[in-house]
Amino acid sequence: MGKLAVDKHVQYILSVEKKKDSFESVVMDHLRMNGAYWGLTTLDLLGKLDSVNADEVISWIMKCQHESGGFSGNIGHDPHILYTLSAVQVLSLFNKLDVLGIDKFSVVGALAIMGSLHHVDKDLLGWWLCERQVKSGGLNGRPEKLPDVCYSWWVLSSLIMIDRVHWIDKEKLVKFILDSQDLENGGISDRPDDAVDVFHTYFGVAGIQCRSAHRFAFIYFTNSAFAVRFTMHAIVVGLSLLEYPGLKAIDPAYALPVDVVNRIFFSR
Amino acid sequence: MDLLNQLETILESDPLIDEVGLIHPSQFVTLSNECGESGNSSVDDAFGPTDTKFWNRDHKLGISTEVLLPLCKAAKSAFMDAMKQYKMHSNLSDDKHEDENIVIDSLLSCQSFEHEVMKHSRALLLLSCDFGTAWNARKLLVLKKPQLSVFTDELFLSTLVLSYSPKSEQAWSHRRWVIKMIAGNCLNLQQIVAKESELVKKIAERSKMNYRAWNHRCWLVSYMTREQMLHELKRSRDWAGLHVADNSCFHYRRLLILRIIESKPNKQDGNFSYDVEKYQVLKEELELNEVLIKRYIGREALWLHRRFLSLCWIRHLTTMCGISCHSEQKTSVDNEINIFLDKEFCLLDSCSLIQDTEFEDFKAQAMYSAVYFVWLIKKIPQFRKIEMHEKLKVGNLKNILHKTCSERSFLLDILEER
Repeated sequence: MGKLAVDKHVQYILSVEKKKDSFESVVMDHLRMNGAYWGLTTLDLLGKLDSVNADEVISWIMKCQHESGGFSGNIGHDPHILYTLSAVQVLSLFNKLDVLGIDKFSVVGALAIMGSLHHVDKDLLGWWLCERQVKSGGLNGRPEKLPDVCYSWWVLSSLIMIDRVHWIDKEKLVKFILDSQDLENGGISDRPDDAVDVFHTYFGVAGIQCRSAHRFAFIYFTNSAFAVRFTMHAIVVGLSLLEYPGLKAIDPAYALPVDVVNRIFFSR
Repeated sequence: MDLLNQLETILESDPLIDEVGLIHPSQFVTLSNECGESGNSSVDDAFGPTDTKFWNRDHKLGISTEVLLPLCKAAKSAFMDAMKQYKMHSNLSDDKHEDENIVIDSLLSCQSFEHEVMKHSRALLLLSCDFGTAWNARKLLVLKKPQLSVFTDELFLSTLVLSYSPKSEQAWSHRRWVIKMIAGNCLNLQQIVAKESELVKKIAERSKMNYRAWNHRCWLVSYMTREQMLHELKRSRDWAGLHVADNSCFHYRRLLILRIIESKPNKQDGNFSYDVEKYQVLKEELELNEVLIKRYIGREALWLHRRFLSLCWIRHLTTMCGISCHSEQKTSVDNEINIFLDKEFCLLDSCSLIQDTEFEDFKAQAMYSAVYFVWLIKKIPQFRKIEMHEKLKVGNLKNILHKTCSERSFLLDILEER
């Protein structure tokens, strides 16, 4: 079985942050807060959160807070619950929830509400979830779809939360994930056989369409930075859930490292 | 800013643009050659063959990938500025001023900034379709002039965005917002719903298993009458048969069937005709499903669909009996269920033979049919009454499961529980 190329991935994540003027960065402008969560949680799980300047990050986050208390995806944008969750999560990583000026109970409550488990039929849900595992060992998101490493997070954390993770073949999944790495550049491809197209595409790459007398070649853009951080987060988190050695443990319900969650709960 | 002006001028001059795409600079040569061939001399050349940033013909708009980044930045900046100005002036005009002139002035400025916001947000959304703040701004301004034509324009913009970004959740969500706003007031809601459904079908054709598109179609169901639901089911039947791997399509059919089954008749129609219709709908869908399962071997979506249909069928048979059922009727219902289960056993038999190990499909078919059976055993209480069949069939089932999906040990556990 392969190994997790930690240093390459860390370099990749840090390099993405610096490319503020790239097309990807501009087009993904409105959800930079999510990008921050994915990138920083991954770094923390790899034990490398100190590679970033915490003060810079936190001061940027606070500029995204609105009067309502909610956070936006970036400075000047409208607030939204998705980015509020990401902001709270990132502040937790840096142990800076006190800047929110509210007590930790509320934070825990907010996190719990946003990530709450409803009363579900665990067998039924577990059955559907374990059917996400295909022959190659990877997980897909829906029936008839190809496996994708990003589902290592969604499907796996769900299975763990309902105590049905033994219904899938864990070893096969670990192998599938490790085989997806781009060992040369850092970052990840979503499936092991994707040699050329390393990254998720935000817009797909399409062929030529015929419209009346003219042909349009719709060439879409690969949105590498956005997609790769998102996918890498899923991979590192997935491996953490599968107890891959050398990674910090992650809490499947809060989507944060276990030590961060404990800090919130126990240091009142 | 010049680039942005150019784009916005094109959009203004051709309000019927229904498709947008990004073009690689090298494609402009090809397109201009083709344009030469078609000899359309009456067309304005400003954004024609010699231009290498924008292409506009036949209500199609192409944008060169080279200008995308500066255009994006310019549009974002223009939009944010306009929004800031608008908010400032709308605050001013809200304040009660003694001087009428100031109030009128700020109202006029407000209007001009509204126009700017709408203009820049449209350009921005064509370049960055999930820029939520821009969609929000449009909603805010549209509510100030809630006329049907304005709402229709919003649907048009969303369609344009979906033409190149069919998975844009913001674009889909904007449609739902529009429909919610006009639902109470417009006379032709059914027509609008029908057109929306048609749009999803068109988009689903080129964007397979597009979850957001189908999710939108599912949402429309709550605005459909029973007749419309039956019509939708019938109308999309052939499409489903041609896209048997599209799980989203079958998910949509399941929702339609569920709603049809759940719908309560009003006093005139009475229960009987509804029951007959439910019976028909389920029976036809089961038959269609079986035909497709036998024709397209090893298709997961078809087997998942069958799980739902079988459960519905059994429940329908059982509830038709009801509480005040005579024992005779109960026996006849049991008979019907047994007949159904016998037929399912036959289906299992025909699917469990792995004729060919070279094609994965046969193995998949055997696995799906076996798992389907374990599902039936787990979910249908009547299965427990069939003692004799069990001894014969459970052994076979275990074999297939061992051969095809041995890691799913919980399936074998379910069989053990019997």
